[in-house]
Amino acid sequence: MLLFKILSFLCGYVTITVPEECLEKFINMATARGIFLWGITATGANRVALKVRLSGVQPLRHVARMTRCRFKITGRAGLPFLISRLSRRKALLAGALVFVVTLYLLSTFVWFIEVTGNKRVETEAIEQAARRAGLYRGVPKWSLDTAEMEANIARQVPGLSWVGMQVDGTRVRIEVVEKVLPPDSGGEQKVDVVAAKDGLIKEILVLSGHPVISEGDTVTAGQVLISAAIPPPENFYENEGGEQKEEAGEEPEDKQEPVQYVHARGIVRARVWYEGYGEMKLVEKGTVLTGREITKLCIKIGAKEIILMGPGQVPYKFYGARTDVKRIPAWRNINIPVEFITVKYFEKEPYSRTYSRAEARRMAGKRALTGIKKQIPKSARILDQRVQVVETAEPEDIVRVRAIVETLEEIGVEKPHQFDRGGSGLVGGKRGSAGNHG
Amino acid sequence: MAFKDLKNKFKRQLSDYLELPGDIMLDLPKIVLVGNLQVFIENHRGIQEYSPRLVRVVVSDKVVEVTGENLTLRNILPDEICVEGQISTVSFLS
Repeated sequence: MLLFKILSFLCGYVTITVPEECLEKFINMATARGIFLWGITATGANRVALKVRLSGVQPLRHVARMTRCRFKITGRAGLPFLISRLSRRKALLAGALVFVVTLYLLSTFVWFIEVTGNKRVETEAIEQAARRAGLYRGVPKWSLDTAEMEANIARQVPGLSWVGMQVDGTRVRIEVVEKVLPPDSGGEQKVDVVAAKDGLIKEILVLSGHPVISEGDTVTAGQVLISAAIPPPENFYENEGGEQKEEAGEEPEDKQEPVQYVHARGIVRARVWYEGYGEMKLVEKGTVLTGREITKLCIKIGAKEIILMGPGQVPYKFYGARTDVKRIPAWRNINIPVEFITVKYFEKEPYSRTYSRAEARRMAGKRALTGIKKQIPKSARILDQRVQVVETAEPEDIVRVRAIVETLEEIGVEKPHQFDRGGSGLVGGKRGSAGNHG
Repeated sequence: MAFKDLKNKFKRQLSDYLELPGDIMLDLPKIVLVGNLQVFIENHRGIQEYSPRLVRVVVSDKVVEVTGENLTLRNILPDEICVEGQISTVSFLS
């Protein structure tokens, strides 16, 4: 009914009055000709009012002539009349146009700037940086290059590590992430070089700091390689001689000459082993796409699904499907339960392929190696790679292999110095030598 | 006339047997009453009389009379009439 009302408003309709005595003939004739009438009410004074679409008025004149009763138009409503009335009031129309144009023009400027995410950095500082980057109240939106401005603001304000800009209508949201700085200890920071991976130390080059491991040691991930703490010289020599004594009497020595802390730097290369596993079935079964596909388009209203295009039943025996659902975005609390669903069906074909043992072994080895190579950093040098077949007690129709890759790579990473991790490098040194058998 | 009665009887029996609705098979009106507010009359042959207290609608071979207060014809389509108002009676006149 609402749709009908909207339609009649768009088409325009008139209210006409007919004398009561010839109403029946009038109505019957009109309906017989397919003229739609509604809202038939008596208005008193022996006249009846009825409504009719604008397109029905001309045929009604014919009907009136044949029934010999005159009708009078008493009311006009709808869009066509509204337009004709408006066209007489040009100033109003111009005003409305000016209003819309002004609204549109004003909406192309930035009116609000919001800064979020900052705790230590002043909002004002960010706003000033934004102003220098060319973002201020009243700037036209088309002149904004958000990516460039983000970089510009991040460059200007030192305490920010990331700046994101989002233009949302006339509002620009600047979201920032502050840098998390390690606690400043006045001057140089205490940083250790720590092993990133398990490995056997091949070469070590200390630029600054105190090395706690030596070439040939095995290290585990997380172990300190070059310590930030440099013990006083005399202790250092003592240290080499007897470790137990040193650990017990650390404090008095500290008093004599304090441990010096530096930012440890250096290059530590180690041999690192990677292990991987791969398997290959002798008879490989799977499905392969044939290239044939079919698209189904349907509209889902509530729980009901109506197919607009495509098959009701998928004509393939084996197939894969990809569904793409489009829905009208929810606005406030109004959620329109209408979804457009496009489903693409791809036909598949099963296949089975048989490999010889040698072939399967080669492919399993390749799989194992590609699995390993994902973990190896690009800078690493591969020294050796071996593939072994894993023998099982009973013969299987599957070939299992284990691959081992040996690389030479840098394993040192910088980490803030922690005192409980063997801060003076003495405990760490002990651990390093303890593991010196690999 | 006897032939027409026979034809109607045959038609009714056929529609009963096939469980077809009578309004299609026998060209009968279908009248839906919503409380005492609305009457929908489908399959009509035009209106015979209209006043705010009385509406007469011609159906296949009878006349349906709707009486009440403030009756208006909400809409008239070639095959449906909707009468609105405070309806008190709906009766058949032959």
